Amino acid sequence: MSNPVLIIGAGVAGMTAAVELADSGIKTVLVERLSTTGGNALNLYKAFPTDDCFYCFEGNRWRPGIRKCFYRSALTEQPNIDLKMNSQVEEISGLPGNFSVKLDIGPQYVDPKKCTMCGLCIEKSKAFSLVSPQCQPQAVVYDPEIEDTGTTSAAEECPTKAINLDAKSTKKIISVSDIVIATGYHEMQPVNVDEYGYGTHPNIITQLELARILDPLGETKGVLLRPSDGKPAKRVMMVQCVGSRDENYYAYCSKICCVFALKHAAILTQDHEDVEVSVVYMDIRTYDRYEKYYRDTRNAGVEYIRGRVSRIEPQDDGSLDIIVFDSLLNKYLKFSVDIFVLSSALEPSAGSSQIISSLGLKSASGFIGAINPETEVVVGNRIYACGSALGPSEVPESVTQARAVVSKILQSKE
Amino acid sequence: MSDKKSAVLLCTCGKQLGLSFDLLESELKKNNLTTSVTVEDLVCQEEGLAKIASLLAENEGRLVIAACTSQKIQPRIIQYLKDRGIDGTQIQYVNIREHSAWVHSDVDEATKKSLDMIRGTLARSATSVQLVPETKEIGNHVSVIGGGIAGIEAALSLSNLGYHVTLMEISDQLGGHVKHLPLVAPTGKSGVEILSGRLESVEKDSKITILTKTKVKFVTGEMGDFTIHYTAEDNTSELTLKTSAVVMAMGFKEFEPIGMEEYRYGKNPDVITQFQLSRMLTEGTLARPSDGGAVKEVVMVQCVGSRSEDYKRDCSKICCTFAIDNSLEILKQIPDAKVRVVYMDIRVPFENELVYKESREVGVDYIRGRISMVWEQEGKTRVKIYDSLMDEYLEVPSDLLVLSTAILPPDGVFALSETLGYAIEDDGHIKELYGKLRRNETRRRGVVAVGAVTRPQFVSESITDAQAGALILHNELQGGKIQAIMRGAVLNVDDCVGCSLCAQQCPRGVPLMIEQIDAEEESEDQKILFKAAIDTLNCHSCGVCQSLCPSGATQLNFLSNNQMWSEIEATLEGAGADNPVTLCFYCEECAVSTIDIAGTLKMEYPASTRLIPVPCAGRVSIIDILKAFEGGASSVMIAACETDRCHVGGTGNEIAQVQVDVARDILNAIGWKGERVDMFRMFSAEPERFTTAISEMVRRAREFGPTPVHTGTAGKWMEVGK
Ligand SMILES: Cc1cc2nc3c(=O)[nH]c(=O)nc-3n(C[C@H](O)[C@H](O)[C@H](O)COP(=O)(O)OP(=O)(O)OC[C@H]3O[C@@H](n4cnc5c(N)ncnc54)[C@H](O)[C@@H]3O)c2cc1C
Ligand code: SF4
Ligand code: SF4
Ligand code: SF4
Ligand code: SF4
Ligand code: SF4
Repeated sequence: MSNPVLIIGAGVAGMTAAVELADSGIKTVLVERLSTTGGNALNLYKAFPTDDCFYCFEGNRWRPGIRKCFYRSALTEQPNIDLKMNSQVEEISGLPGNFSVKLDIGPQYVDPKKCTMCGLCIEKSKAFSLVSPQCQPQAVVYDPEIEDTGTTSAAEECPTKAINLDAKSTKKIISVSDIVIATGYHEMQPVNVDEYGYGTHPNIITQLELARILDPLGETKGVLLRPSDGKPAKRVMMVQCVGSRDENYYAYCSKICCVFALKHAAILTQDHEDVEVSVVYMDIRTYDRYEKYYRDTRNAGVEYIRGRVSRIEPQDDGSLDIIVFDSLLNKYLKFSVDIFVLSSALEPSAGSSQIISSLGLKSASGFIGAINPETEVVVGNRIYACGSALGPSEVPESVTQARAVVSKILQSKE
Repeated sequence: MSDKKSAVLLCTCGKQLGLSFDLLESELKKNNLTTSVTVEDLVCQEEGLAKIASLLAENEGRLVIAACTSQKIQPRIIQYLKDRGIDGTQIQYVNIREHSAWVHSDVDEATKKSLDMIRGTLARSATSVQLVPETKEIGNHVSVIGGGIAGIEAALSLSNLGYHVTLMEISDQLGGHVKHLPLVAPTGKSGVEILSGRLESVEKDSKITILTKTKVKFVTGEMGDFTIHYTAEDNTSELTLKTSAVVMAMGFKEFEPIGMEEYRYGKNPDVITQFQLSRMLTEGTLARPSDGGAVKEVVMVQCVGSRSEDYKRDCSKICCTFAIDNSLEILKQIPDAKVRVVYMDIRVPFENELVYKESREVGVDYIRGRISMVWEQEGKTRVKIYDSLMDEYLEVPSDLLVLSTAILPPDGVFALSETLGYAIEDDGHIKELYGKLRRNETRRRGVVAVGAVTRPQFVSESITDAQAGALILHNELQGGKIQAIMRGAVLNVDDCVGCSLCAQQCPRGVPLMIEQIDAEEESEDQKILFKAAIDTLNCHSCGVCQSLCPSGATQLNFLSNNQMWSEIEATLEGAGADNPVTLCFYCEECAVSTIDIAGTLKMEYPASTRLIPVPCAGRVSIIDILKAFEGGASSVMIAACETDRCHVGGTGNEIAQVQVDVARDILNAIGWKGERVDMFRMFSAEPERFTTAISEMVRRAREFGPTPVHTGTAGKWMEVGK
């Protein structure tokens, strides 16, 4: 038996790599830190460029259709994928072809192959919940921090005996031939960017938080409400390059925040009634066909202000007064808004720097760097990376890169 | 085919479903299409799976499983059976959880609905056939059209994966645009550096044949058996090449700003394009083209022909980075040169921003605004620039005026699409199968597109594309031995009347019209010159051809016309004036997820609804719709996906829309309310789209009241059928 391939991170990039490798008969160990796969995509509602849902990827090569939602991707059913949820890579040593990997495998309170999502435990105890109808594995999760009287009876009455309240985390050392890093990105919490007052007022939010508000599966059921008082919001201002293109935070451009900001602006102006949107920017970077979002939103009345935000003044009625310096008109303008949205930088996900240093990889502003920049996905000797682990990227790029990784691995095995 | 009986397996989901299983069991036992009825608590667990295996053995593979969504249990069941060598291709699934028990709190109503849907599925099962695995041997040869960086990388990747490759290049050497780039961001290398190792590898590779000065004329055949017709250097006669798959890697073309008077391109030799500047920088010939004079003042103009309503509407993506790279290179070669870049937005992704910053630090001057005039004065070029930040005009001299012209699709893309069958995007590039996940596949099976032929791309992206494209073809060709279950359209050639509707409308270009050589022998008026040919192994099983075929010649082997019609009839048993039923055909690729998620979220909707799965909305024909009304439905809906979002990768949903529109016209013409039938678009991120739609159809069923079928005033529909 040859060693399996280790994939770190089960966002769209990692899932695609795992499924493609598995379909090609190569065993994989897919390690995910959280309790559901999907990564950032699970919380983002609609995706550009197709403007349909975010939660799909290529389910399995041998099934019909060109894509499957996460919930029906059957990751847990594929014999060549060993899915390790709530787990982390602790240490990697050894040589290419035979890396030794120490895994910290989280406690498996609910057996994902047994849980039917019948809902019995959720009714019994608050400790059980369904993260999302699109979660994968399709199973409830248990939060040991929440203790109530229902947990034991839930465990006893679960029809499949899927629940083990005493589950413990375990350590395991495995040997792997290749490593695929698909650890994705993290949206910077702009708490330190003083001028935007994030954290000081509930109506100052990030784009990811706005995505949750717009999502019909989210708390507000897709209705645009002010976080402060739950009143309908009518005026939204977005500000670009928060923490990006800024020597004090990240000098690089986060590449996709213009597109998703404009995607949100399009949803707000097209799917919602009477919402006014303005966007404060330095350069609008809508590459290639994404220019469409720029055209469409301008036509829909979105106001673009080239300049910068200079002051935010919270008002008693929950609204915010925003003073903007317009560099084209060369003067200060004042706006009153309900929600102020920060297009915050996309940063490497936590742990990237350890991966880089422990494997001796190159760094691209903290993301994983390629050995030769023109061959994006090859980052070391039998070490590959795909998706936003390589730098901010959109879904189409992430899955193309995942396929390129699999292509390279298969090429090396032929 | 005669009706066969099936076993029924009902799952209680651990006794958690609000359904009366006793009633289901006793009623189903009475059904003359059942052999046995088994109630299990957990079909998805070991015991239940074992039960499936034994029921299959006892019933020659005919089994109806009523449980949770097949989207989840089917993969598990298939895997379980596969491990044990058991055939499960005839199993039919009914979703009594997400589609019934979880969305209707009234136990009686939900039970009634479940019973009807199981009855319908039994009828579908009664004439099912076993699907058998098939093996097809094909040549393991792939052709790559275009010898730029993407084509070269694709050839190398395919060769590494074990294929023989022919790399066809129209010019006299490989390398494309890249070989002329002085600096390729963000690599810091020159184009030649990036190319050289790769060129050496392709030349050394015995599996790769390089054909330069070769022009591909057209391509015939299909995946596994394409024939490329091409002309070679000094040879005007046409040559052919057999190949199993094609990689389109024809790169891009630079926009020629001839018509743009304002820049005096073509009139003034010192007005050049960014790519021409690249060549000068690479070749070390930077000088004024007009008189060979030294270059001290350079003005670059961004977005020439891009982001413009008159030319290309979209952004060309790479030209900002391109301009910055060239500015830096100019300053490297002529340190005291002055470079000004006139722009609307500077667009440089990720770390290219750092290069942008570097260029500003070394003195490149960025002016947000536009060019208002270019003219020649005493042999020198002068440029007037409007600076929109300063709101002022400035006039500068220019030794070189460099236009960052738009990136356009290469010549020949459209011509080849006619025989290769891929679709074309509005901007003229090759259209992807699905924008979010399938960027390199095209509509046509066995044809992938990589690099700038799909969209403007950076070098690194083109290389990634090429590697991914090679994998996609490898998945399809499986090293020359394709093994798959024969699931899809099967053609009965004798029934084909040669109308070619299938060949025209198949979303994936599978049916080919084949000339009937012996057609002459038949009498003149009956002669059919062309007949369809369908390779089931290439088919994507949507059923569009079936719903359009006037003679029933092409049918899906897992959902024949008879299966569908008997299912409709059996499902609607009992529907009538006092039991108005809304029948919903839903696509099992797209709408199913919306309906499942509505179920998981337990969103209530009326229980007077019955659901029938189809592999693609395009499988539903006008006749199917009319059969539903004939069977007693009060309203009929099709649940499908949005335009251009077809999960089969084509236009199945649009075909369905046409069928619905025509069915509606027919209903109107015979005095029915046409609005009894409708189609709705949905995706799972918005589950309320389904509940809203089906509630609306239930409302219409109620509002319009009994149909002429219910009141006995309608004629029989048989004349519309066969
Ligand atoms: C507001 C917003 C809107 C967006 N909109 C769009 C859009 O409309 N269209 C589009 O194409 N893209 C969009 N994107 C980008 C999109 O989210 C990404 O391209 C995509 O999710 C990247 O997938 P990934 O798998 O590379 O990374 P991720 O989704 O970040 O997944 C990485 C996974 O790895 C796990 N992980 C990380 N580190 C470890 C570790 N050490 N061990 C184990 N597991 C680990 C994480 O928990 C996560 O599950 C948007 C992004 C944002 C912020
Ligand atoms: S009771 Fe058991 S099977 Fe039901 S949802 Fe909870 S863990 Fe899953
Ligand atoms: S993509 Fe737009 S918002 Fe994001 S950092 Fe770049 S320029 Fe700023
Ligand atoms: S990349 Fe820059 S120059 Fe090119 S079209 Fe886009 S904005 Fe214009
Ligand atoms: S649609 Fe039917 S009759 Fe027409 S060509 Fe195709 S198979 Fe033949
Ligand atoms: S079933 Fe669909 S993919 Fe197959 S041949 Fe018919 S139309 Fe084409």
